[in-house]
Amino acid sequence: MTMNVAQRRYAFRFLSMMTLYTVSVVWVGWTFGTNPPAGQAKYFLAALPALPIIGVLFVLGRYLFEEADEFLRHRHMVSLLLATGIMLSFCATWGFLELFGLVPQIGVFHISWGFFAGWGFASALVGLFYR
Amino acid sequence: MKNSLKDLRAARGWTQADLAARLEISRQSVIAIETGKFDPSLPLAFRIADVFGFPIEKIFHRD
Repeated sequence: MTMNVAQRRYAFRFLSMMTLYTVSVVWVGWTFGTNPPAGQAKYFLAALPALPIIGVLFVLGRYLFEEADEFLRHRHMVSLLLATGIMLSFCATWGFLELFGLVPQIGVFHISWGFFAGWGFASALVGLFYR
Repeated sequence: MKNSLKDLRAARGWTQADLAARLEISRQSVIAIETGKFDPSLPLAFRIADVFGFPIEKIFHRD
C-alpha cells in the first residue's frame, strides 16, 4: 500500500517521537540509577519521557488536519475516539473497583500506554470494518 | 445512502485504483464508498459526479 504525503509525514513524526521516547526513558533511568539529580532538575528530568508522549498526541492530531482524504481522516478519527472510549471505560471501571479495595491501585502513567494499546486495537477493528 | 458507483465504474472499465486516481483519493475511500460504508461529503460527491459526467442524483440514491 502506498502512502500519501500526509501519511508519510505522520509515520516519520510518529517514529521520531517513539525514538525520542525510547532514548529519554533509557537515559533518565540510567541517570536516576547512577547519579540522581538534586533540586528542581530532578522533577524536570523525571517528567522528560512524557514530552515525546505528548508529542505523539500532537502528531495524531496534526495528521487529522493534514490528511486531505476525507475517508482516511474519518477512519483515523473513529479509531482515536474508540481508543479514548476504551481507555476511559477501563479507567472508570477500575477506579470504582479500586475505590472499594477490590483491585490494587495502578499508576496514572499506565493510562498513556494503555491508550496507545487501545488505539492499536481500535485501528485494527476499524480496519476490519471498512475492509 | 445507496450509490451506483460500482456499476458506473465497471461500465467504463475502470478499476478502483483508476477511479481513485481520477478523484485524487485513496483506493480504500473508493471501496468504502462503493460498499456504502462511507458517505462522501458534498464536495466529493460533486467531484464523483463530474468524473462520470452525471448529476449527483443519478449516482447517489436515498435508502
